[in-house]
Amino acid sequence: MPEVAAFSGQRLAGVDDVRRINPLVPVQAQITRAITETHDTKTLYVVGLDGKVPFSLNPGQVAMLSLLGVGEGMFSGVDAGDHLEFSIKKVGALTGALHEVEPGQIVGLRGPYGNGFPLEFCRGKNLLFVAGGIGLAPLRSLVRFCIKHRSDFGGIHLVYGARTPGDLAFKGEIAGEWVAVEDFAISLTVDQGDRDWQHHVGFVPNLLRELKPAPDNTVCLVCGPPAMIKNSIVVLEELGFAAEEVLTTLEMRMKCGIGQCGRCNIGSCYVCLDGPVFRLADLKRYSSEY
Amino acid sequence: MMFLEKGDLHFVLDVLAGLGKLYVPAESNGITRFVPYGGEKTQVWLQTNTAISPKEILFPATETLYRYETGRGKETVKPVADHHAPLILFGIRSCDLQAITCLDDVFLDGEFVDELYRERRETATIIALSCAKAGPHCFCQSMGLDPLAHRQSDLQMYDYDQYYGLEANSDRGRLLLETLEKHDLLSVSGRENPVPALEFALEVETEGITEKLTGMFEHPLWEEVASKCLNCGICTYLCPACHCFDISEKLDNAHCGSKIRCWDSCMFSGYTRMAGGHNPRPGKRERVRERFMHKLCYFPQRYGKYLCTGCGRCLAKCPVGLEITKIMELVKEVENDA
Amino acid sequence: MMKQLIAQMQEIARELLETGIVQTVIGWEKGSRWYLSPPVFVRKPEDAGRLWYDQFAVPNLSGYLLDYRNKNEKVAVFVKGCDSRSVVRLIQDNQVRKENIVAIGVPCAGMRDQSAVNDEKEPHELPLLSKCLQCRYPNPVYADRTVGEAVVDKSLNVPDDLDAGTGLMGGDLTGDGSYVSSGIVERLEGLSSDDRYDFWQKAFSKCLRCYACRNVCPACSCRECIMDSEHSLWVGKGSSPTENMFNALIRAYHVAGRCTTCGECERVCPVGIPLMALNQFLGQEVNKLLEAYDAGIDETLKPPLEMYGWPDFDGLFRCAKGVRA
Repeated sequence: MPEVAAFSGQRLAGVDDVRRINPLVPVQAQITRAITETHDTKTLYVVGLDGKVPFSLNPGQVAMLSLLGVGEGMFSGVDAGDHLEFSIKKVGALTGALHEVEPGQIVGLRGPYGNGFPLEFCRGKNLLFVAGGIGLAPLRSLVRFCIKHRSDFGGIHLVYGARTPGDLAFKGEIAGEWVAVEDFAISLTVDQGDRDWQHHVGFVPNLLRELKPAPDNTVCLVCGPPAMIKNSIVVLEELGFAAEEVLTTLEMRMKCGIGQCGRCNIGSCYVCLDGPVFRLADLKRYSSEY
Repeated sequence: MMFLEKGDLHFVLDVLAGLGKLYVPAESNGITRFVPYGGEKTQVWLQTNTAISPKEILFPATETLYRYETGRGKETVKPVADHHAPLILFGIRSCDLQAITCLDDVFLDGEFVDELYRERRETATIIALSCAKAGPHCFCQSMGLDPLAHRQSDLQMYDYDQYYGLEANSDRGRLLLETLEKHDLLSVSGRENPVPALEFALEVETEGITEKLTGMFEHPLWEEVASKCLNCGICTYLCPACHCFDISEKLDNAHCGSKIRCWDSCMFSGYTRMAGGHNPRPGKRERVRERFMHKLCYFPQRYGKYLCTGCGRCLAKCPVGLEITKIMELVKEVENDA
Repeated sequence: MMKQLIAQMQEIARELLETGIVQTVIGWEKGSRWYLSPPVFVRKPEDAGRLWYDQFAVPNLSGYLLDYRNKNEKVAVFVKGCDSRSVVRLIQDNQVRKENIVAIGVPCAGMRDQSAVNDEKEPHELPLLSKCLQCRYPNPVYADRTVGEAVVDKSLNVPDDLDAGTGLMGGDLTGDGSYVSSGIVERLEGLSSDDRYDFWQKAFSKCLRCYACRNVCPACSCRECIMDSEHSLWVGKGSSPTENMFNALIRAYHVAGRCTTCGECERVCPVGIPLMALNQFLGQEVNKLLEAYDAGIDETLKPPLEMYGWPDFDGLFRCAKGVRA
């Protein structure tokens, strides 16, 4: 644990640090790289002021990224070992400002928050990833984990859709790294293709219905816009997936990240604290809450 | 039990004011609330509970989390150094003390501790006061409370005609009693009047409500009761137990400002609206449902107690008569076909 | 008498729902305490019996019409004389379509002041609200149907004495800024500007920013209020006297010339801020500077601040341009 110079503005990030001092106060971190994924999505590399990874993030966990004077928002992150990666779609004032940051710039960071994916539960099973748009960002942390620990998991199938080919994020990583992974099937679709588009055209749930992935010994992980999640769930049920075998990771408006400010609840669970990963079985009653 | 003559109360308050920052219920600026005791000029109000709950002492409506400077190549974050004098809360009623225990559950007892709340709460000595009569909106008894005493007080005061009976529930309370004794303000010669049980105009049956509500998320009842709601924040802001908050920026200029935390309300449209515009609780139905479900179902599931303590402030001030007691009755009456 | 009237109200509601002319009837019902007659939404003919009317039916129901502006649903609403002015305002502002509302006028002999209740259990006499003591529109100025002896009366009734105070409730102005009275506008005008500033600072220091005043107001019809704007730098979300005052002043200016003086903002304020004094003051200023006008009386008469004509006071414009009048 690095030395903590409390209240001086020179605090270095650390999990205990965040918890010991007011958990709502961010530690400072630094942007080292900003990668343009699509016209509206960027991936930011973040390290602590000491150049090391600020804290470790399990696949599916989230962190609060902030810009002083602009705001604070919860993002799903990827722990790349020596840095954290946050893929951010431009939707509002904060994300707009985050798209403007340059390497070297200081940002605020607090976390890690949330439960992350149940790795033990997934171990030894086939994994079906169903993603829409920026919804691939939180799933990507698990995909990368699976690639790293390939022998721990069965077959992997990614069904990924976006509005247009230009909206598909992580294209380089998918086409470069992921296609080369053993027993890793990738099915892409877009709502609207262009001249060069050679894959499926249509919504993700429709593609799922065509592909008919088998539910046997398979965990399905879904993330995307609420409509995509809800319609995909219908198809997954048709295909015989049990509600206990379908996992989703949710996004809600959050302010505190620590289960106190109240707004991100689904029933008696807080998405920031008890989520963001939920079993579909736990969400059934509250499907209109996300 | 020790006794204090009611006529000597202001001497007691003067002594207490010397021991820490003393808050008393008082009429101030045309409204009753807990204010710092300022000697004789403070118009102490003990007839009924206050219009505004004491939650604002431990969890202020607006407070600064940290200040910051940014730009010109430097970024600094300065948490607010907030060293409090010990707090003494005088005249807290059972309902409001129960609400404080709810706030404790949220801010202190989870995985994360809210430091600003803890700093105040840990120094606070709570002197509870029994209620002499139940107000027209009171229903604390229905929520399982005793309007005459709350065990989590440090010192419990009982209202006996010309006397207050005093009983310590903690070391802090015993210390206070000793101090007051040293000032010759207490006697053992009072009489422990048997207080007749208070008569409540409002009673409501809570048995099984959490379990029943669990299956009522999609019930048409919510649409029905929510129509007349104005989605204002009166109920949540007057509630002693509502604890939801917002965090936002307050800019002093282009380079510095502060991060503030202020009360928020599940009744407001912006409460759950996400940056892209999607709002999982877009209308009155969803928001009204959330408020009552949180109080009577979700909170009990999570923390084992209701987030409503029967203080009745929301009943007294709701502009359209959307009353939680009625909701509880309706929940009990309706068929649960979910 | 009242019984008969209520029976008539219930009958109309039943008929409107049974025939499918409307899907919802907004009225009042008997409240949980003797002095309360809160709003009720009736959607089934068999529930029409819940409707109730008495001297405690204070809530102005017309603000609820804003909930229907995006719906293709026809709704009936009961209106007292003063409430009907808010309906006219909503129509004038294109917030509701005339053909989607059935306004049902009810007679009103004045509403009672609930703040004077001193026995919660036993009903007792209550004084009239002071807005009712100075009532100028006991009959609805707009209604599709009427019950009892109510008649639609569109005659303009702007008082000769534009300064006549019309506080919402009785009471007195106390030094600590706590409460309010009829004639408060004149009394405030009699104060020095410093004292007046202190008065309002004190009053707004207790504002909770609950927005009940805004949410109940039929003239507050913005789809998104600037106060709710996430990234507005005009006003923060936290409560502080200056920001609270800013919030209140923006609102007062925004409803100036459109406020129908229904007094709902002041009635619902949980901390007793004399909001109507502000609204009345600005209403009077508009009348003095532009023309004598009563908002919401005649659909065809545009509010003075929504038009500009040569006879208008134009000091503001000319000063801004640096041209002398």
